[in-house]
Amino acid sequence: MPVDLDNSSTASGEASVSSSGNQSQPPKSTAKKKRNLPGMPDPDAEVIALSPKTLMATNRFVCEICNKGFQRDQNLQLHRRGHNLPWKLRQRSSKEVKKRVYVCPEASCVHHDPSRALGDLTGIKKHFCRKHGEKKWKCDKCSKKYAVQSDWKAHSKICGTREYKCDCGTLFSRRDSFITHRAFCDALAEESARAQTQVAVVNPNSESDPNTLAVETSSPVPAPPPVQAPAQAQAQAPPAPPQSTGVLSSVLRNKSPELPENTPQIVKEAPATTGLNGSCASTTSSSSNGSASCSVFASLFASSTASASLQTAQTPAFTDLIRAMGRSDPPTDLPRPSSTEPISLCLSTNHGSSIFGTAGQERRQYAPSPQPAMSATALLQKAAQMGAAATNASLLRGFGIVSSSSSSGQQDGLHWSQRQVEPENASVPAGLGLGHCDGGSGLKELMMGTPSMFGPKQTTLDFLGLGMAAGGSPSNGLSALITSIGGGLDVAAAAAAASFGGGEFSAKDMGRGT
Amino acid sequence: MHQMTPFSNPTMNKSQIHRTRPWPGFPTSKALGSFGDANCMEQLLVHCANAIESNDATLAQQILWVLNNIAPPDGDSNQRLACGFLRALIARAAKSGSCKLQLAAMANANTNLTIDTHRFSVIELASFVDLTPWHRFGFSAANAAILEAVEGYSVIHIVDLSLTHCMQIPTLIDAIASRHEVPPLLKLTVAAAVDDIPPMLDLSYEELGSKLVNFARSKNVMMEFRVSPSSYKDGFATLIEQLRMQHLVYAGESGEALVVNCHMMLHYIPEESFESCYAFESSSLRTMFLKSLRSLDPTIVVLVDEDADLTSNNMVCRLRSAFNYLWIPYDTMDTFLPHGSKQRQWYEADICWKIENVIAHEGLQRVERLEPRSRWVQRMRNANFRGLPFAEDAVSEVKTMLDEHAAGWGLKKEEEDLVLTWKGHNVVFATAWLPAA
Repeated sequence: MPVDLDNSSTASGEASVSSSGNQSQPPKSTAKKKRNLPGMPDPDAEVIALSPKTLMATNRFVCEICNKGFQRDQNLQLHRRGHNLPWKLRQRSSKEVKKRVYVCPEASCVHHDPSRALGDLTGIKKHFCRKHGEKKWKCDKCSKKYAVQSDWKAHSKICGTREYKCDCGTLFSRRDSFITHRAFCDALAEESARAQTQVAVVNPNSESDPNTLAVETSSPVPAPPPVQAPAQAQAQAPPAPPQSTGVLSSVLRNKSPELPENTPQIVKEAPATTGLNGSCASTTSSSSNGSASCSVFASLFASSTASASLQTAQTPAFTDLIRAMGRSDPPTDLPRPSSTEPISLCLSTNHGSSIFGTAGQERRQYAPSPQPAMSATALLQKAAQMGAAATNASLLRGFGIVSSSSSSGQQDGLHWSQRQVEPENASVPAGLGLGHCDGGSGLKELMMGTPSMFGPKQTTLDFLGLGMAAGGSPSNGLSALITSIGGGLDVAAAAAAASFGGGEFSAKDMGRGT
Repeated sequence: MHQMTPFSNPTMNKSQIHRTRPWPGFPTSKALGSFGDANCMEQLLVHCANAIESNDATLAQQILWVLNNIAPPDGDSNQRLACGFLRALIARAAKSGSCKLQLAAMANANTNLTIDTHRFSVIELASFVDLTPWHRFGFSAANAAILEAVEGYSVIHIVDLSLTHCMQIPTLIDAIASRHEVPPLLKLTVAAAVDDIPPMLDLSYEELGSKLVNFARSKNVMMEFRVSPSSYKDGFATLIEQLRMQHLVYAGESGEALVVNCHMMLHYIPEESFESCYAFESSSLRTMFLKSLRSLDPTIVVLVDEDADLTSNNMVCRLRSAFNYLWIPYDTMDTFLPHGSKQRQWYEADICWKIENVIAHEGLQRVERLEPRSRWVQRMRNANFRGLPFAEDAVSEVKTMLDEHAAGWGLKKEEEDLVLTWKGHNVVFATAWLPAA
């Protein structure tokens, strides 16, 4: 029996009206229903403080016949109908009842203050459980604990399913990644667009030739497999049933991991609604013409279920749709794995690869400069190590490229957007502009620069000695280079130490493990 | 560890010439590798920076030459890090006073020295941001705090001041949609895209917004999207004004929650060290922004940013500071991006852009003005905000997220705030704030 039929029971009735979980409500009113406003409650709003016990009590409304408990009076009343007992459903009251807001019984909670009261009973219940209740629901798989059963259910559904698949074919192991991708992926945009166009396309044609209908509706079928599904649907319009069911089941299967637990009112959702309505309409209209309708189903399901299943798989409208399809399409055997295959295959090859794959191949195309840079550096190192014979030309080239490497990143960036790199360009912006001057001269200054290095510091405006010296003789280039590597190091260090007191820059432990 | 002692030997001139005394650390043969040591690199960079700052072109040039040889752009993480700084130093030298190169070519080379970073498609950016906890950490922590703060509100106005072009928003929409019994109305306001800071997006914010609205709709959430023509350059003055107007209209009657999510964006607002026309004013734009933000009486402000100090007016200080912070992205890279991958190049180009901005630029152009957590905390308190500790849920949320990444990532609590760490070093901090009474 109802325990405490104080104002909380009426309150719960009210709450069930606005609750999205209750699908028996007329959709329109649910959508329009403005929620009680927290934060700055209506001065007229009735502030309701329930005790923790009342708040936590479940199934307070018990059927006198079978002892089944219900959380809401409304639900009990519906149940009572089954027993042929007198029942009374609360109407959407014409005399708009007073707004009610609910405060959290926990005194330390922000929502304990009437000014931060929550607008519905279910909300405050969940809040109280989550924030102040015991986490008694534990996930078997990962041991994560939840205070609210529905949270736990939602988690259990997705726990362990480490895979999310977008309609574009990309796979994700994490929900966050999937969600972020999904939001920006064209697949979603196309679906929504399709859901909206369904109405425009289907309804006007509902009386016309179903074959035309099939063609028209199938054209905006899911983008990723546009080639296969619609093409087949059109080509083999008469014997198409397996195709249609294949699309349906695959879409449903792929979608299932991301279904939100608390199936929101689909009816509130404009495109989804229209999509469903549209498909229902065409279902009935085309069922008069048996065979051709199958392809209609194919396209309709492929598109409308995709968006619909985002919200729920179990809405009445949806199941109706399935039933409708079953009726108009009796010989179909539903599970046809073979027909689902081409779709997922097509999905995963199309987009997935372009995002994640082929990185190795494209690297060459996008970033040619690091490679010459590497060889140049390697060359210089090798020369320093071995003192082996190397031609001046290659050294010149080497240095030119080394210095260009200092700006190679910028270069890369510049060209990535243009998608190609002209090799000769690489040396032009080469950081120090070596490409512009006589290659020998710049190098010579560096190579032959030992005297000045050892002498007192010279103030020269010629930063890298560009354009100063005449062409160096190739013969001493190598040895000079070797000297300058060693000597350069020494002297640079010495000079730096002398002028800036290298001692005070004592080695600092940065604690970097490598 | 390589010691710098040979560097301070003042009597090496003679011996150098005759090469009688081989330098112990001389990079003969295999020993070259020892120069890859980060400390040595840092010393060389600091010497070079000092040389450039004191207009000692010869010395600078010599060190650059050395660095060029020991820091190839495709070397190990330290070498690539040093290479980034090397480029930045060259860029700086190229335009600084007497170090200026006499090349006419340099005039247009200036543009060539500007790192042109990759322009991401929205999908690319989504997967890019997803690779590391660098951004995800802030997303998780912020979402958890926001979710808690907006509980019960039927209208939630989110102002997203984020470097990552709304990449946080889908998960927030998703969380709100699944958490709220009746999905609230979302209003999302963003500042106009800043086109000069990486990561850059190849999509207009209008298109981005319509995608988000569409996504929200698919989650049964009604959302309005608005772009405010405002940027960090003027401290988001326009945005604040717009919010103030809306605040007058809505907040009074409807109890609309105002959420301000600042993700690695506020450090671009000019601060005190910025010498400009603002200098005569009593406070910096950064301070003014926070004060005006406070005056909007937001429901919650989340501030996530990189935990380093790049505000010094001394370039050498900034170099050291940046070097001792930006090794982290290079060090982490191997854990999530394969060698030679496209994404890796994008990633490095973005870091190089940062390095160059810190080292080579001054004044208005130098926008990477990071401040450490402690200073932000002080700023927020001065602006009359009080810190909001992250709930247990938020912490476990973040921990779960970190578990999905390499082992080096960690989480620690500093006062009320969360700090993402890499091998124990602070990387990014997350703080949540309420208006103080």
